[in-house]
Amino acid sequence: MDRSYLTLALSKGRLADQALELLEAAGIDCRAARVESRRLILEDPDAKLRFIMAKPADVPTYVEYGAADLGVVGKDTLLEEGRQLYEVLNLGFGACRLCVCGPEALQGRLDRIPNKRVATKYPRVARDFFELKKRESVEIIRLNGSVELAPLVGLAEVIVDIVESGRTLKENGLAVLETIAPVSARMVVNRVSMKMKADRIAPLLAAVRAELEVRRSRTEERRHDR
Amino acid sequence: MSQWRFHTPDGVADILPDDCARMREIESSIRQVFRRRGFAEIRTPGLEYYDVYATGRGLAPQEDLFKFFDAQGRILALRYDGTVPAARLAATLLRDEAPPLRLSYVEPMFRYGEPGGIRQREFTQAGVELMGAASPEADAEVLCTAMEALRAAGLQDFQVSVGQVAFFKGLREAWGLSAEEADLLSRLIDSKEMVALEEMADRIGLRGDDREALLQMPSLYGSYEVLDRMEALVGNPVSRDALANLRGILEILEDAGQLSAVSVDLGMLRSLDYYTGMIVKGFTYGIGYPILSGGRYDNVVSEFGRTLSSTGFSIGVDRLMSALRRQGSPPAPFRPDVLLGAGPGRAARRAALLWADAARAQGRTVARDVGGLSPDGLRAEAEARGIPEVRYATADGRVEEA
Repeated sequence: MDRSYLTLALSKGRLADQALELLEAAGIDCRAARVESRRLILEDPDAKLRFIMAKPADVPTYVEYGAADLGVVGKDTLLEEGRQLYEVLNLGFGACRLCVCGPEALQGRLDRIPNKRVATKYPRVARDFFELKKRESVEIIRLNGSVELAPLVGLAEVIVDIVESGRTLKENGLAVLETIAPVSARMVVNRVSMKMKADRIAPLLAAVRAELEVRRSRTEERRHDR
Repeated sequence: MSQWRFHTPDGVADILPDDCARMREIESSIRQVFRRRGFAEIRTPGLEYYDVYATGRGLAPQEDLFKFFDAQGRILALRYDGTVPAARLAATLLRDEAPPLRLSYVEPMFRYGEPGGIRQREFTQAGVELMGAASPEADAEVLCTAMEALRAAGLQDFQVSVGQVAFFKGLREAWGLSAEEADLLSRLIDSKEMVALEEMADRIGLRGDDREALLQMPSLYGSYEVLDRMEALVGNPVSRDALANLRGILEILEDAGQLSAVSVDLGMLRSLDYYTGMIVKGFTYGIGYPILSGGRYDNVVSEFGRTLSSTGFSIGVDRLMSALRRQGSPPAPFRPDVLLGAGPGRAARRAALLWADAARAQGRTVARDVGGLSPDGLRAEAEARGIPEVRYATADGRVEEA
């Protein structure tokens, strides 16, 4: 084990691209991760940087166990996985909402259905929301995709899912009934690495934070110009 | 059903010879440190009454206890930690011992909870409890003991983070937070969720120095300068006392030459109901979890009817072993120094036995052949097992190298 390496776990897909773009803008050399390859571990021996490409739901696990020092992952995944991590930065991109959705007719009457069936990819988020926050009993039905289908075919009354534009919902005659939490990409850090590799992690975080600050003020200026 | 016959239950594991030897070595080095520093070892039972852990506020989450019933229908629990049984002892069988009590233990603990990776359901902890002393001296003594134990176990590169939960408790009061707000806030600080913390600071209306103090808590590490910085921001007496207490502890660690591995982290806020003052976590490379944890718990012994301000720590021996292995120091394979055989007849056997006793008395490990092997057979056997030396006793009473 080479302890001088810093290992970054990225969520394969769009989130990884946006994360790399942000890191590069913050002055961190990510060429190693840009190589077109099917390899799962990409190393930059000069910068002592290692990227691992993981399934989004696995990123918190890699980071909690210290197999990766840092990770970039959506808040929805963090809520669902409930891992012990430092959640240090809100990266802003990948913004959407975790919502309870269902037929428009249920608007405002959700609490009148006893033992609702809730279809979702986020069983833990759904259970916590209904049982702990709303104090309502539910039956959770775990699905792996196209969750919108469930209310349409009578598998469930409502769904818990992430909503970006709401178009898929609309086209299927569904509506947002309640918002559970706003979601965006987060930078997470292993609790031990934060201490043991502070000399490398702290400057990296500072650079990313500074870049986020620049982006924020840029958007504000743009808003101001209009 | 016999399908589980060949398996061990989730979260427990067999420890094979090489690892077991390393583990015993580590335990014995740690024990020696505890002894040298005046901590007496105790052995508490593997089974306790559930009530021991369920007193008052609850000293362990009931979901994490392994529970059984005894013949009278009382609930029993497997030993969950070292501190609570030690507290029970201090208040009962050891109640006439004048404080401070210096106790230590090295024992397997049992906890439910999600198994997997290195979070085992049975794991060995080695720890000390210093009971009946509220001074920074006591906390520093415990910290020095922890660091000496880690070094004795062979760990060179580690870091010890020291916090003080009273610092946050003072802020909680000064800011007039509700229990819910305080709970949420402590979790946000502990997981360093800066964005959520800023929102929370706005929500509870923190301004100026208060806001600054809150936002710095999660990211400020270091030594005296952390205390200086916070002293400039915080006015309430409880938090200021907490800082003064930490300063006292740091000074003692400095005098002991132990400051270099220590870093103050006021953002560590775990188990606020349990801990009352200094808290500590220890980290090293190669393992994503703390290998050391502890702190001051002034209200635990009183659950058993004796008031003793106490402080202590425990080292996760299994985690320490994983860390050492990943840091490139795997356990040395366990093998005897000598394989000893004998020719036919009682005279040869007697010679072999005498020779073995003498060698063992000098501290060498001698395995005796029990299969009547010839010198050639012995050599082959020793080669296969990696035993460096082969001896053979002959009928005339000589023991020769074979």
